[in-house]
Amino acid sequence: MPVRVVENSAPSQVSGEDASHQHALPPACSLLCVGRAFSGTQNVSSFQKDEAWRVNVRIQGCDLGHGYLCGTMEALNVPLADTPVVTFWEGEIVDMKNYTFYTGKWEATPENDIKHWSKFPAFSSLSSQVEADGGKSLDLSNYPYIFMRWKEQYFVNVGTDCGLTIAGFYYVCFSCSDGSVNGFYYDPNSSPFQKLELKSTNEGRLGFTFSSYQLQ
Amino acid sequence: MPSTAAGSRPEDLTARLDRAAAGEGEEALLTVLREVKNQIIGNKTKKLVYLHLGAVPRIVAALASARDPAVIVQAAAAIGSFACGVEDGVRAVIDAGAVPCLIAVLSHANDKVVDAGARSLRMIFQSKLAPKYDFLKDKNMKFLISLLNSDNDNVIELAASIVAHSCEINAEQKALCDAGALQRLANLLEGSSNQKDACLDSIAAIIRKNSEVGMHFASIGTGKALNSIVKLLKDRNPRTRLLACVCAISIGHASPYYVQDLQTRTKMMLILVELLEESGRVGDDAPFALSELILDDEELHKQAISVNVVENICDCLHKYLIQPRRLHGILLVFAELCSRLEECRCLLMSQQVLDTLVNALKHDCPDIRAAACTCIRSLSRSVKNLSAGHLSSERFVVPLVHLLHDTSISVQVAALGAICNVAVDFAAKKSVFIQSGCVKQLVQLSKSMDSRLRLKAISALRNLMFLADTFAKESIIRELTISTLASLICDSETDIQHQALALVTNLVDGYVDAAEHIFADDGLIINAVVRQLHSASSAEICIQGMLLLSNIAAGVESHKEAVMSYLVSSRDDKSIPFIIRFLQNKDSLLRTAAVWCIINLTYQDGPDLSTRIARLRGAGIVSQIKTMINDPCLDTKYRVRTALEQCMTFEDNIP
Repeated sequence: MPVRVVENSAPSQVSGEDASHQHALPPACSLLCVGRAFSGTQNVSSFQKDEAWRVNVRIQGCDLGHGYLCGTMEALNVPLADTPVVTFWEGEIVDMKNYTFYTGKWEATPENDIKHWSKFPAFSSLSSQVEADGGKSLDLSNYPYIFMRWKEQYFVNVGTDCGLTIAGFYYVCFSCSDGSVNGFYYDPNSSPFQKLELKSTNEGRLGFTFSSYQLQ
Repeated sequence: MPSTAAGSRPEDLTARLDRAAAGEGEEALLTVLREVKNQIIGNKTKKLVYLHLGAVPRIVAALASARDPAVIVQAAAAIGSFACGVEDGVRAVIDAGAVPCLIAVLSHANDKVVDAGARSLRMIFQSKLAPKYDFLKDKNMKFLISLLNSDNDNVIELAASIVAHSCEINAEQKALCDAGALQRLANLLEGSSNQKDACLDSIAAIIRKNSEVGMHFASIGTGKALNSIVKLLKDRNPRTRLLACVCAISIGHASPYYVQDLQTRTKMMLILVELLEESGRVGDDAPFALSELILDDEELHKQAISVNVVENICDCLHKYLIQPRRLHGILLVFAELCSRLEECRCLLMSQQVLDTLVNALKHDCPDIRAAACTCIRSLSRSVKNLSAGHLSSERFVVPLVHLLHDTSISVQVAALGAICNVAVDFAAKKSVFIQSGCVKQLVQLSKSMDSRLRLKAISALRNLMFLADTFAKESIIRELTISTLASLICDSETDIQHQALALVTNLVDGYVDAAEHIFADDGLIINAVVRQLHSASSAEICIQGMLLLSNIAAGVESHKEAVMSYLVSSRDDKSIPFIIRFLQNKDSLLRTAAVWCIINLTYQDGPDLSTRIARLRGAGIVSQIKTMINDPCLDTKYRVRTALEQCMTFEDNIP
């Protein structure tokens, strides 16, 4: 059963008005746009056994202005599940305008945040600044990596009684150069540091294709 | 049982009116006018009987010829009573020429006569049927100002009613402001309850959507007038609170400097939500003022969440049988509230609101149908809602498609807006859209002479094509036809060209065989695309065109070769290939799109890859890309590196 997420009433870490003038948005990356697909694995190993699920992700929405990204995540060889399990997730892009490195909710303490971000080599050059002032003085607009949190919101094709949990969330680091996605799942009630590794895929085509929609 | 005295039946009194007017003297006329007036006051049935008997023109004639002040007073009162609460009465009074007669009465030396004339005219000017007063005539403006400066409360209220009823255009607002009407109205805000309401109503009309006049008002008495309005937000009379809100909203929209602190805006929002509980006109008008207040105000939308505005309005939907006008206003509020914030959309995605929306789509009133569509459009700006498929079910799509045939163009446009969004869907099958006749109707509208309809229809088809399966894509293209699509790519409107190109891009994405449509009919579509790439001045069109070529270039060898033939000109052609211009363009998105096309053309080894790279090199494209290795745009830079790696890998392999 999914573990209930307790909304934290602590002050949000979202930067205020002033910060919005200081920070440019992260770079638009054509490997992280609507319609783009990723595939790879999530390591769900525990003390008892080594296990990895194949995972496909598709981006369905992207609004850099609001630091927002969303899409679906499909887990393929989930034990005891008859079909692949699809979830819908929403992402917060760490842009220091809409969202900072500090989560401020989903049962994640600042220590949890730093511990997880530090697992990404791309974070190492930022960590001292983040620990000093929360990263307020950082300009990520031309940084080759985009840091995000992906939070699954609901199961798309199975009921909540499927025996799986979406209580946690992913700390994610996206590489603008090759479109690879690395992530760590965080849920106090699940195995720590389950690693998500995805690569941008062209779904067997002889090149990369594009599709888009426009909402009114 | 008492019975009507002989000679007092409406027929008798009407006949007596004639006799009195014919020479029985003003004494007799006074008596009969008084009797008629007493009979009709508060009695709609009697009014209609007298209207039927033709009494009104007789009374207006009596008013026009009377000399005795008492007769004028009675005639004016009777006319006012006919105009009160009965539309046919207002029409009869106006048709009989009562308005100029009553206006003449306002210049009478006797105060009682003036008072009666003013009361009567006020009744008339409460109706929408009343004639418009022409403020732009100097004489009229002077007269109006003289009324506003009167000592008589009824005359002042009449003047304010005339302004509220007649002031519509910018020039009239400016003229009234210049003539000192605003200043005078502001001074009158301290008066009686009726006078306050009349003044607020007219102030709102003078400053509505006119920032210059709004700012002038705010500066009156160095903010004193504005403070009076703010004070009236707390008035005990609900109508006064509503009108004060309406004025404050207009002033706030006129200049961001005034009435813009979040606290005041929040207070107004709560006042208006509370006024929704009022019966009658105040409760009906409150949601319209609220939708004006929150228009494009994301900060206030957030505040609406924290002070439970959505929940409170939903409670109203629950508690009362909502009248059409109020429902229209509430739907506009919902549409605005969920136009920007995901959290608002979540609050509105309740079964109760969704049921209300489904019913509203089928409502008799076109305004309500259009507002429901707008609300669905706002709700479907949420990818989360779209992905969950809540709004793309048959329950919503079928009535929305039905509204594409609506007799009202504004309903059609609103329905198209909603369909545009729900068409994104994210489910590959799109069966509900195909089976409901949606595609067929959208294709018809994409051929409309009205460019608004054409644009929205092609946008909806583009969204429908997004990640659709092969069956859905083929169904759409079969209905649309190659020739219509080619003509939409060359439409006179740039936005339509862009949507048509995006539609073709979506068609080809993930469906290699779709390229056959692009090259069909002697290359009708591809030729149209390439013509646009050669001639378009809009970067947006060029970007979309290059993404389309990229998609085609991700196909089989023959598709890659076809794209090459458009990128690299023959040796005889000395002009610069358009792709070089795009690679040099200042718009980084266009540079990136152009590089993607090269990446796809040089992707993996194929029988013609070496020739393609050689041709790209020969056309100067590879050397152009080499100059971009440190492109200031990160995305372009990384894509350039991929393209060069692919070209160089092959170069390294040459023995």
